[in-house]
Amino acid sequence: MKQQNELEKIMFHPTGSDLKPYEWMMRPTRQREWIDDKGIFLWLAFFFSEIGAGLYFVSLFYEYRAGIVLGWLITLILGGLIHVLYLGNPLRAWRMIMKPKTSELSRGIWIIGVFAALGFLQIITSGGFNMVFNCIMGILCLLIISHGFATMNVIRALPAWSSTMVLPLSLISGIWVGSQLLQMMFVLGGSSALASGMEVWSEAFFLIYLLCILLYVWGTFHANEIGKTSIDVQLNGELSKIFYAGVGGLGLVLPAVLTLIMWGGDTHGFLIFLRLVFVLAGDLAIRYTIMKSAVYKPLI
Amino acid sequence: MPRWGMVIDVKRCIACWGCTIACKEEHFLPPRVFFNRVLIGETGKFPTSSKLIYPILCNHCTDAACVEACPTGATYIREDGIVVVDDDKCVGCRACLVSCPYQQRTYYDQKVKEREYYPGQGKTEMELIGEKLYPLKVGTVIKCNFCSERVDEGLKKGLTPGTDDVATPACVIACPVGARVFGDLSDPESEVSRLIMEKKGKQLRKEFGTEPAVYYID
Repeated sequence: MKQQNELEKIMFHPTGSDLKPYEWMMRPTRQREWIDDKGIFLWLAFFFSEIGAGLYFVSLFYEYRAGIVLGWLITLILGGLIHVLYLGNPLRAWRMIMKPKTSELSRGIWIIGVFAALGFLQIITSGGFNMVFNCIMGILCLLIISHGFATMNVIRALPAWSSTMVLPLSLISGIWVGSQLLQMMFVLGGSSALASGMEVWSEAFFLIYLLCILLYVWGTFHANEIGKTSIDVQLNGELSKIFYAGVGGLGLVLPAVLTLIMWGGDTHGFLIFLRLVFVLAGDLAIRYTIMKSAVYKPLI
Repeated sequence: MPRWGMVIDVKRCIACWGCTIACKEEHFLPPRVFFNRVLIGETGKFPTSSKLIYPILCNHCTDAACVEACPTGATYIREDGIVVVDDDKCVGCRACLVSCPYQQRTYYDQKVKEREYYPGQGKTEMELIGEKLYPLKVGTVIKCNFCSERVDEGLKKGLTPGTDDVATPACVIACPVGARVFGDLSDPESEVSRLIMEKKGKQLRKEFGTEPAVYYID
């Protein structure tokens, strides 16, 4: 009996969903490679690249060297390293620069390479904060922030990822999280006036972030049947708990309450810290639900 | 240069899974890895419902999403239209796998390599021979290659793929009812071109826009 169970485990689907080989892609089928098992690395890599580049981007406006150093390190060490860990053959990662004409992944590697080199120059040179350099770095940051979702966005087979709102959502969330990180750095550095001044950013970006999430859900739901299925998985299916608690509760409601308390620049260090924690958790949750809920159209 | 393609007659197919097994034997595929599947479904409602039987495999698309997505050039289209993976170049990013709307690729990792057909009893002699004869590289993506080894060897010997068994994909020669036909799509006189024209061959999910080289007739 035990042996029979083992055989069933081998022959049938690992989720134990009783999916037989002849039922493959007969129903909307969830993508697994970029989120399940080792795919979790990719979720974290996209997240760290985004928040690192977001912090770098916002720091440019304040010409705040500590912010750009931390942003540069998060993007390259956490984002870059975790990306490489995900690969089946990490030692061959250099090959990914070969096809920038067609592959979004390849383009991303080039952008990260240029960002690493120019960012390093900006950090070590005393006159690094001139307008031209800032503009170039700003554009590179925006490209890195959106790189993860852009890689997903070009996959036409998955409507939950190829939705029009995926890229704007990614950009806004990167800047929103980056601004929160910088505000916390200002609090820790004793620059409470700058932290209070940044509250205007927080109020504006929070509202745009909320709007982007609503538009993403609405747009994907109305895109086609498969998009509808993906949103259904997020709102009513296996991901509903993560969506409501993570995206809704931690990512939107609690930051909204804290933003209202600090409305008009009346900031408090602990509240800024709390909001940062919630925003990070919310951002991880929205990324997870989008990556996990993408489904393929059945073949027949 | 030929453009290899396949025509599958879904009316002839009896869902015997001969193609699935022949393919697994040809490529020594481990448990739960399939380059060929036979999908069985239904359409309509009783009493007018009908059964659908669709043998599926990699479509070797002309505008292949997997080729576009591959960042290293490991997945490429040969001159004869066959989409193959160069496992020396594959980094295992699985962008091709996620991009394929037909989901006809498999990531071959250590866990898959270690699977046994008789769990807990060690690998059979056949499985061990397979690892030597048809070594798959861990950390790469694998897929149907239209049995390109057979096609290439056959052409070297002056044989015609699709006509001579030795030069034809294993799934085609294994089919007991002749539901599969392999041949040159660029030759208007070939059997595959004739069947596509006469029986109005259709590509699976044409709306994906990838221009598959596998056609279905009924």
